[in-house]
Amino acid sequence: MRSIRFHGRGGQGAKTASRIVGTAAFLEGLTAQDSPLYGAERRGAPVSASTRISREPIRERGLITRPDLIVIADESLIGDPTARVLDGLSERTVVFVNAALPSEQARDQFRIPGRVTTLDLTDMTLRQFGKPVALSAPLGAVACRLLGLKAESLKAAITGELADLGLPETVIEGNLALAASCYDAVPVVPVEEMAGTPPAPVSLWTPVYEPPTLGSARISASANSPLRETGGWRTFRPVLVPDKCNGCWLCFVYCPDGVISMTKDDLPLIDYDHCKGCQICVQECPTKALVAEREQEGAGTWRAK
Amino acid sequence: MTWQRETFKKIKQIPREEHVLPGTSLCAGCGGLEALRLAAKVLGDDVVYVNAAGCFTMLAAYPFTPFKGSWLYTTMGSAPAGAQGVRDALDVLIAKGRLPKRDDLKVVVLGGDGSTYDMALSSTSGAIYRGLDFYYFCYDNEAYGNTGVQLSAATPYGARTTTSPCSLQHPAGTIQEKKDIFEIWRAHKPPYIATVAPRYPLDLAEKFARAATFTGPKLFLALSACPTGWLYDPGETPEVAKLAVETGLWPLKEAINGAVTHTYIPKRKPVEEYLKLQGRFRHLFEPTKQEEAIRHIQERVDAYWRQVNV
Repeated sequence: MRSIRFHGRGGQGAKTASRIVGTAAFLEGLTAQDSPLYGAERRGAPVSASTRISREPIRERGLITRPDLIVIADESLIGDPTARVLDGLSERTVVFVNAALPSEQARDQFRIPGRVTTLDLTDMTLRQFGKPVALSAPLGAVACRLLGLKAESLKAAITGELADLGLPETVIEGNLALAASCYDAVPVVPVEEMAGTPPAPVSLWTPVYEPPTLGSARISASANSPLRETGGWRTFRPVLVPDKCNGCWLCFVYCPDGVISMTKDDLPLIDYDHCKGCQICVQECPTKALVAEREQEGAGTWRAK
Repeated sequence: MTWQRETFKKIKQIPREEHVLPGTSLCAGCGGLEALRLAAKVLGDDVVYVNAAGCFTMLAAYPFTPFKGSWLYTTMGSAPAGAQGVRDALDVLIAKGRLPKRDDLKVVVLGGDGSTYDMALSSTSGAIYRGLDFYYFCYDNEAYGNTGVQLSAATPYGARTTTSPCSLQHPAGTIQEKKDIFEIWRAHKPPYIATVAPRYPLDLAEKFARAATFTGPKLFLALSACPTGWLYDPGETPEVAKLAVETGLWPLKEAINGAVTHTYIPKRKPVEEYLKLQGRFRHLFEPTKQEEAIRHIQERVDAYWRQVNV
């Protein structure tokens, strides 16, 4: 059995990628199991999905705690302690990161002890579709290649899964082309089975029941949500071209998260620690004074503090 | 009679101060958060929010809160009952002299459409019946969004949700019509009801300012365009909200003691323009266009505006 854990942000396609791999394996006669981790399903928030494939019946259930392959759709998740992307990682685990860095560099920069491989799926997707869309097909393609599943099964799985989502044929065609190039381009590090490793013994834990005043979550602080930064959610950032701004306030008014304030001179000031990159301000700006710029690698990139 | 705004005439009258701070984990481009943020600019900080379970659960995800004031979390069906308890407690404290009258707080229920149209309908009816002095803010994204977009009684005919997919029997997806919660509320004759859309910020702010002059139930239905559930790019949230209003699908109106005024009369673009933008209606256009379903939606809107008589 091989266990694959996908990590992404809601809307990036981690869940569908896990289904694609499960279906591709099933089409090759393997037993497959895939399930997203249920949480509040929302765009931008960390999500994960688990896939198990095996020639034997799969008896294990639940989350994958000791993955053979970890597929990371968004490198900013590695630094997010709530996402727990590297949980249960061993030196034999293969870690795929969607990043513009070469494998060695990613391994050092993100301090990943496993065997790392990378490919810039975001860039390839932008080149295919001209805008950021879900990475389900490219993530599925990379995982299938690393697991040694056939290109034909991948193709059939993508077609089936994306059609189930009600996507139009043109989008499916685009995804198949993209998946094929990702399948070929990803540097292959073969995924080994953790066969023979006995599961770690589990000691049962007895919950202690407390009165509701202790047992329910109470927040005694006030207005502390800015401590939680959401800048890592962006693929594109809104950038002001000051000469074009007519100071109309519309970006400030329409921003759902309230991350744009107006200066005394009526210029928008964007709080990049919290801007989620929804692009409402860019779309609504009547003078095109706000433009979308791809979040860059390197010094200009926003990093969680 | 044309409706006149008295407090909010220009966009630069929207208060600068923020009362819902950033850092929440609501979706990028959330139309509901956009509406709440604008409403809070009028409501201020002296508020107790009573939040029914739903997407807005994520506003105050432990240990963080975006509010300066209080936030109480309830089950989906019981937020108006929770609001009654909070209101009563404030009244008792004031009556006993333990809370100065000037420190009184507004009680504001936050509920999604699943809660508002389905589960909390009876407790809302009870609260309006008892004349509870509170605000009710429904962020209506026309589905159970937080759990992955299932059908709610607010889902419109022809939309696809995970529990109303298009099938051979029902190629249009959802076969039910959206429940008319505005009329259900209005039958109770509360002092103030309004529909709002965040793409019309002055209309929204004006209505919250007007509501403040009434004691008793003040109910708001906020169009909450939802990129995650309606399947469009997050940046298009205002555009989708605008077309919902401009096609006449989402009438902007208020009812004072039961008397309805439409606060904005759209020129009424064809509904197709609104439907086409969203993935949840894509099956009405591809692979074959479902003319009859689209015509049905258009006819419902036309019939509505005929009875409005404008």
